Amino acid sequence: MSGVLPLEMSAATKWFGNFRAVDGLDFSVPQGSIVGFLGPNGAGKSTSLRMALGVLNPDQGEVRLFGKRPNLNTLKRVGFLPEERGLYKKMSPRQIITYFARLKGLSARDAKARADDLLESMGLSEFAKSRISRLSKGMAQKVQILSALAHRPEFLILDEPFSGLDPVNQMALEEMIVEEHKRGATIVFSTHVMEHAERLCEKIVMMARGRKVFDGTLEEAYGALARTVKIGVESDFNLRAALQASGFDAVRDKDIWRVTLPNGRDSQAALRAAIDAGAPITSFVPEEARLRDVFISRVSEAEAQDLADTLALDAKTAQEAA
Amino acid sequence: MRSTYLVAMRDYLGYVTAWGFWLGLLFTPILLGIFMLAPALAANSQPARYFTVIDANGEFEQSLLAELNSITADAARISLDPVNAGQGNDSEKLKTFDDAIKAGADPQEALKAAGGANIALASPDYLPVPPPAATIEGLRPYLDGSQLIETPNGPQPLFAAIIVPDNGGEIQYWSENFQARDLLTLASNAEYKLARNKVFAAANVSLDIADDVKATRRDVSRQLLRDDPATTGSAVTIADKAPFIVSIMMAFMLWFLIFSVINYLLMGTIEERSNKIFDTLLTSVKLPNLLAGKLIAVLALALTLMTFWGVGSATIGLVASQNFAPEQTQDIMIVLSTVLKPSLVIPAVISFVLGYLMYGSLFLALGSLCDTIQEAQTLMTPLIVLLMTPLFMLVLAINDAQSPIIEAMVWVPLFTPFLLILRMPTEPPLWEVLVQLGLMAVAATLILYLATRVYRAGAVHGAGVADVWAFFGKLIPGKKKMPEQS
Repeated sequence: MSGVLPLEMSAATKWFGNFRAVDGLDFSVPQGSIVGFLGPNGAGKSTSLRMALGVLNPDQGEVRLFGKRPNLNTLKRVGFLPEERGLYKKMSPRQIITYFARLKGLSARDAKARADDLLESMGLSEFAKSRISRLSKGMAQKVQILSALAHRPEFLILDEPFSGLDPVNQMALEEMIVEEHKRGATIVFSTHVMEHAERLCEKIVMMARGRKVFDGTLEEAYGALARTVKIGVESDFNLRAALQASGFDAVRDKDIWRVTLPNGRDSQAALRAAIDAGAPITSFVPEEARLRDVFISRVSEAEAQDLADTLALDAKTAQEAA
Repeated sequence: MRSTYLVAMRDYLGYVTAWGFWLGLLFTPILLGIFMLAPALAANSQPARYFTVIDANGEFEQSLLAELNSITADAARISLDPVNAGQGNDSEKLKTFDDAIKAGADPQEALKAAGGANIALASPDYLPVPPPAATIEGLRPYLDGSQLIETPNGPQPLFAAIIVPDNGGEIQYWSENFQARDLLTLASNAEYKLARNKVFAAANVSLDIADDVKATRRDVSRQLLRDDPATTGSAVTIADKAPFIVSIMMAFMLWFLIFSVINYLLMGTIEERSNKIFDTLLTSVKLPNLLAGKLIAVLALALTLMTFWGVGSATIGLVASQNFAPEQTQDIMIVLSTVLKPSLVIPAVISFVLGYLMYGSLFLALGSLCDTIQEAQTLMTPLIVLLMTPLFMLVLAINDAQSPIIEAMVWVPLFTPFLLILRMPTEPPLWEVLVQLGLMAVAATLILYLATRVYRAGAVHGAGVADVWAFFGKLIPGKKKMPEQS
């Protein structure tokens, strides 16, 4: 098992008719990691995860799950929570967890025992025999998550696991993910809420318009974005002109100047340069790098690139037609 | 195999634990029974209707009353000796009864004289009453219900009035109800017999001549060519008819079972699609195993229904058989033993399995494309028409299982499951049967393959009803795009 990556995608491409949902996606999930799969709606995250599970086959490229093409044997080592939640509404939580655990290979007795343990751990014992249709949406979602965990998978793929959950349940799910990770599970989850990824992930993969726009650690993600400090000065002072000689770039945003820190220069250097330039400083706030900013920046770049590509293609088509 | 079993078990338990299943299991035979018995029940529950005859010399009225009596007498004959009376044969009991009637006894008395059971014969549907008025104008308020006539059962409306003119003109039948023709037919028969009697009398011919004609006529009996020359030419018996009766029953049962359970496949798949459960399932079960599990679950459901209804019918039959005459019990046993004839039961079992596979796969595929039953209805109509066609063929086969239309339609694989069974008693050539079974197997495999593809498109790619219309739209020459459906 050691040395084999739970998931590898190489140049995976998926078309739906004339629409390229995923375009040459390359990424891998290291054993024992928690990977955040980030992207705006329609970025191709769910399609990629469905390809990872073999529900969809890539039109080009390759997907390897535990070193092999996804098949029922490799999938027995995987727990999956789909984006579109759904359960048999006339079954009880106990029946559902037992059913999916048995489909994944557990014996009837083990599956029932596991269902009882999981329901108890999530405080759902008293609803174990209620119909799903009588549970709240949050409870039903917990049951579905438990179904994905029932067979103690080595690799968990969770598609938008936090959507639809209230903050308390989101926190409970985060704890559950951490617990599963401690147990030794490798975890990939998709989300467009950056805070979950910041709190949980060691590695981030970002997608936009079907393409990967970032793949690296959280630190690398933060490093990918220009760092800034906010400096407040009295209203008529031009900080941009004052800092130009020191190699800093500043942009005015109402009463505040946002100063970009070049590589190798920190916020203290910017403050010193401002003081040296005689700036009448009223405030100084070093800005922390946020994943959200990296995300917006990368997605915007991808969208701009996409727009440019489209315009270029249109121009070429028009030229050819002429 | 294990995953197929688990899917089948879950689906089966899901179906049988639903109250709708038990409702269908219990009420379907009751509704069918009511449907079959409805005409008889309606006839028995109809209250007596009153009519009056204005007939100066009373000849016609007498003839009509004799006709009415003959209906009661016929019912009495059947209750006296159902087998012979039904087949138009004579027996000692029937002869005694007929003699008593000729001697002027009423049917109840004649039944007693012939040793019949002491049962009250059903009262006649039509009862005569004295005319409350002498002209049609005078009768009008009684006929339109604005005035009632006095009867032994209290005041009642007058159903009809028959006016027989003195001068020999046409007999007038007056009634507000122009649909019920029984009394009108009786009146015509009565007039025919009256006229015949008059003509015979004028020609000095005895009325016994008519009976002599009946007695001396030769029977036209059906003979059968049999394989054994020694028995060739013997009359058609219930044993000869049994395969036809059984084949019709089997074909109907097959149709009814498929029609009854196929809906479960449709509804189950729609539920899974609308519950967005496919992705979870498809990461645990291979698609063919998933489909096989679903088909097996509903097949098991059909067998459950068959077992319940079979055991129920057998129990009712056993209880009812206590009241049957030995000849009737024997006939029933002959029919039942025919069910186990290999020439019927083997094609029936193959037809059931392949027919179920074909229609089951179609409904599964259909369900995978629909989020709601309303969506499914738009696609179901052609399938329902397809399923109804064999039912019409069944009606045809009751009269003639060798009808050219049945012989042609049996080659259409979608109809073969039902029509092949119907044709088996006619002993078609073996090669025809084998080719038809082969075609059916090929068609079932092809449909299963296509249905799997459609199911994948619906379950995995989210294809829907609009895509089906778009697909058919592309098939129409010159039509590139269908209007948006949803």
